[in-house]
Amino acid sequence: MDVPPLTEPVLLILLSLAGQPRHGYSILKDVEQLSDGRVTLSTGTLYGALRRLLEDGWIERFDEEDSSRGRQAYRLTPAGRRNLQFEASRLKHLARIANLRVARKGI
Amino acid sequence: MLSLYRCLLYLYPAAYRYEYGEEMAGVFCEGLSDVRSETWRKGLLPRAVFLLREFTGLFHGAIEERWRAIATSHSWLSIPARRFTMHSEFRFPKATPVLMAVILAGVMLTIEKATAIEDSLPYSNPQLPPIHAEHFTFFPAMAAIFLSACTMAVIGWAVLFALRRSGVHRLSEMPVAPPQN
Repeated sequence: MDVPPLTEPVLLILLSLAGQPRHGYSILKDVEQLSDGRVTLSTGTLYGALRRLLEDGWIERFDEEDSSRGRQAYRLTPAGRRNLQFEASRLKHLARIANLRVARKGI
Repeated sequence: MLSLYRCLLYLYPAAYRYEYGEEMAGVFCEGLSDVRSETWRKGLLPRAVFLLREFTGLFHGAIEERWRAIATSHSWLSIPARRFTMHSEFRFPKATPVLMAVILAGVMLTIEKATAIEDSLPYSNPQLPPIHAEHFTFFPAMAAIFLSACTMAVIGWAVLFALRRSGVHRLSEMPVAPPQN
């Protein structure tokens, strides 16, 4: 599978949507929580990333049913979930190599 | 502050603003109200940091989207079809310059041919003075015709573009209410 490595904000957005569909502000808060406050996205950055993910078909947009404000929510598409799994396994592989090398250096 | 944010959203391309502008303003509003509640406990710093982050992100995003719009389309004036479902006659056809050039070439050939025929005539009738072809500056006249044709085409296109932006074309797409009995 040919998926380019994701930037940290995009990865965090995808991880946020992997749990459940969310609307814009909920994604912002969840990303902040996921990264222990290290990554705080601005609205402009968030919607730029969401636009790209929508265009690539990784996420989809739908109207929230239980919202009186008619907000739009986002969720992962099957392709997006597949790509996220691939990215997760890539990171896992990278982490394993890093652990091995760091451990070898320590000896 | 929300009004300022909404104004700054105009930095984004129109199609992007149409698609995400309201949502972005809504998210900004939620964030601002959260920060306002924090202001009572933590002072003005979180609010200043929030505003700085939001406006920086907005400028950065606007530059990115503008660049993307320029890079992905041949003309920065083009609006994605998602927003404007235009009829084909509203678009400036790419073939128009070619068509204009062909017509102009046809006109030039016709004039050239007519001049050649005119030159070959003996002018036997003294009642009709010959046309002084030397006074007819051929290429400048053709250039003037071509330029005026181009100007008219650009004006026509600008009018159609203005109509398109005003949404007049959507009137034809409006559903007609059923007649009341």
